[in-house]
Amino acid sequence: MLPDETVIKHILADAGQSDADIQETALGLVCTLAPSVVASALAAFKESELDFATLVDLMGTDTGEEIELSYHLRSFTRDEEIHIKCRVAYDSEISSVWNTYPSALMPERETAELFGLTLSGHPNPKRLLTTDGVEPLLRKSSVIRTLQEVRDR
Amino acid sequence: MSDVLSVILPVLAAVGLMLANGVVLIYMLRKVLGHLHLRVGPMHVGWHGILQTVADVGKLLTKEDITPTNVDKALFFLAPAAVFVPSLMAYAAIPFSETWSITSLDTGLLYTFAVLSLVPLGILMAGWSSGNKWALLGGMRAAAQQIAYEVPLLLSVLPIVMLSGSLDLVEIVAAQGGYWLGFVPRWFVLHPLGFVASVIFLIAGLAELNQTPFDMSEAESELVAGFASEYSAMKFGLLFLSEFSNSFIISALGVTLFFGGWTLPWIPADVVAKIGPVIFMLKTYIGIAVFMWIRGTYPRVRIDQLMSLGWKRLIPISLGLIMVTGIAIKVVETVRGVS
Amino acid sequence: MTDARDIATEAGMLAPEGTHHPGLPPAGIRRAPEGVDGLTTEHLIINMGPQHPSTHGVLRMIVEMDGEEIVSAEASIGYLHRGIEKLAEHRQYNALGTLMDRGDYVSGIHGELASALAVEKLMEIAIPAKADYLRVLLSEINRIASHLVWFGTFGLDTGAMGQFLYAMRDRENLVDILEGITGARMMFNYVRPGGVLADLPAGMAAKILEFCSGFDKYIEEHHDLLGGNEIFQHRVKGIGAIDRDTALAFGLSGANLRGSGVAFDVRRERPYAAYGEMEFDVPVGSTGDSWDRYMVRMEEMRQSNRMIRQCLEGMPEGDFTAKVPRVLRPPEGEVYAAVESSRGETGIHLVSQGGDTPYRFHYKAPSLYALQALEEILPGHLLADVVMIIGSTDIMLGEIDR
Repeated sequence: MLPDETVIKHILADAGQSDADIQETALGLVCTLAPSVVASALAAFKESELDFATLVDLMGTDTGEEIELSYHLRSFTRDEEIHIKCRVAYDSEISSVWNTYPSALMPERETAELFGLTLSGHPNPKRLLTTDGVEPLLRKSSVIRTLQEVRDR
Repeated sequence: MSDVLSVILPVLAAVGLMLANGVVLIYMLRKVLGHLHLRVGPMHVGWHGILQTVADVGKLLTKEDITPTNVDKALFFLAPAAVFVPSLMAYAAIPFSETWSITSLDTGLLYTFAVLSLVPLGILMAGWSSGNKWALLGGMRAAAQQIAYEVPLLLSVLPIVMLSGSLDLVEIVAAQGGYWLGFVPRWFVLHPLGFVASVIFLIAGLAELNQTPFDMSEAESELVAGFASEYSAMKFGLLFLSEFSNSFIISALGVTLFFGGWTLPWIPADVVAKIGPVIFMLKTYIGIAVFMWIRGTYPRVRIDQLMSLGWKRLIPISLGLIMVTGIAIKVVETVRGVS
Repeated sequence: MTDARDIATEAGMLAPEGTHHPGLPPAGIRRAPEGVDGLTTEHLIINMGPQHPSTHGVLRMIVEMDGEEIVSAEASIGYLHRGIEKLAEHRQYNALGTLMDRGDYVSGIHGELASALAVEKLMEIAIPAKADYLRVLLSEINRIASHLVWFGTFGLDTGAMGQFLYAMRDRENLVDILEGITGARMMFNYVRPGGVLADLPAGMAAKILEFCSGFDKYIEEHHDLLGGNEIFQHRVKGIGAIDRDTALAFGLSGANLRGSGVAFDVRRERPYAAYGEMEFDVPVGSTGDSWDRYMVRMEEMRQSNRMIRQCLEGMPEGDFTAKVPRVLRPPEGEVYAAVESSRGETGIHLVSQGGDTPYRFHYKAPSLYALQALEEILPGHLLADVVMIIGSTDIMLGEIDR
């Protein structure tokens, strides 16, 4: 299930981040990286001997201060999984990883749309789920009902 | 009876027959498909839903006739008529019994096919003029398909013409009288060459009718409603009606060519002569029920598979069949001449 | 005439020269419109859906066609977006199941189970053995019911109507059974954190066994009726082939992945509930075409039927739910729990910061990934194949849009 930490450190050092924070949590092995190296790190993971061929899932979380992106990779040959995280500021630009993992195409669009980020290097950076003008719904600042609406129910 | 009446009455009879057929066939389709599908079909209007189609016709007649903005108006109005009229005309040559037919033609078979081949023109008009991409695709498919299958359909009946020596439908039925070996009716479907011809006729006929498995032009899971997408009210009704009437005509032709028309074997001729039209209608409806059975069960072929089946299989086979029939007839004649 | 590659590169649709990408660009231009004898022809851009009979809900495909051949396809979704992930942040943990029911609405039990497993993982609740067995039982009943809907609509896409209603007949029996156990036909809310809602009612086991023995026969009848038809075989064999690498790169899961030859089944590789104790085979395809996906799903139904029997035979005695507090307050943490739903790996990524409600609830929908792969594999096929390929991947718009 859990890949070898030293191998991961080695791959990350090659990808440009030698001081990555690697933790074993209830989620599995979680590496927190700087946003700038995520794309190259994912490419390195895919090409490495660990053979992370699939991006299982991609999601964002509003931590209250910034947006945390979480990439969930899986290797089918070695049956190992790893979660890669990075934190980006609100309204910032994230670079697409679709060249490495085409399965990121739609989840990236969705995450960018629902957290108010912009995508760079994406072949089709349109909105996915909602129409133009809808605020980034999954940010904590966006409320599903205002206090007034709750009172009026 | 005056001359005028003798012309008008059969025409009115044809129109009446066509409309009645439409109503009966729609009800029949629903019931047959329903029972094939573990359902019961319409049950509420009248006894076992028998008046359902009447109600539907009433609905179609009273519905708003919508003309979308982007259509080519003249063609859009003309298309239902262009589809309806040929299928009405095709009734003319069908012999319901030895004496019962709207008009008697020496080349009845050729006439029926010639008239039916006008139908795709109307469908193409409908598809083109609707200003709708689905309708256009449906119309194009219909044109391509019907041109492709017109040929094997015609070729498949040629062996029968050669065997019976006539293009007159009445003569063809007459040629099927009598028995082989004393008890097997001389229906062409039981003739080895005629059987192959009847299979080709069935396949090409289904394609000509736009019936499953060849319902390309209105493939509802691909083209929504195909060439009929933009039609509403009675214009749609006419397109629909001509479809049912075509399936009646193809089935009637099949009965005439391969199943002995209005005759019944093993029953004295004078009894049969009295109920000829009834027998003919029964046989035709059995044929239509078979079409419906196929419709309720089979998946649809793809357009390229349909084309290659038509051009690469059916046409060569039917051409070969004509050759074999010619040789067989000559051989039989020679053998008989010698002996 | 401009080269297709230039157009595509200008539009940012091709990866820069030298970089590796596993598939051709999705929604990209493969070929510039090419004239015959100097005549310029145009590609037809056709809008398939959201109200189209064969897009299985409210999927909209924008298809660019050269004649009847697909040049490019783009999926446009969001017509069923209800904001399940946002709503979940305002629901107590017990209520997550009701939201998941409305995600993949044809196999609700799997969604409920995924959310319940995530909460249990976070709170480290021990589940009674009986609850585990009931979860497996209901999951497999629901899997057959869902696969029957797929089987029926797949045939409907080819134009065959008969087997759809035969499949619905069997599904109706299953839905009755589910209703008898859970009280609802589709929106079950049966699997709760800590266990399940109720035990099997009296006489239900016999009813399920009766269905099982009937289904042994019916599944072969279904297969003969549709899969045994030569026209159908011509329509699916070699159509929509997804090779192993493409399947992995596009993150396919479930029967779509196994059809492409990857033997990964969450039930086998990451056993949850009582799947560790079940005996079942994982069917795998070879070429990854629609026929392989069809065969894999048909075999899955047979295996599910086998597991239902095992569940009933080995059903342990005891409680059907653990003692859990009325209001669940998991500790801070982050977990990912996955189940093998009818459509693939349904995962719940749950972030808790204490309190009554989840901090972040992410629903990993397998259909979303299958949908992306469609954009890749559709070009080059005919319009009639589009509906077949959409049908064979068994996508569910409820969980794509969430």
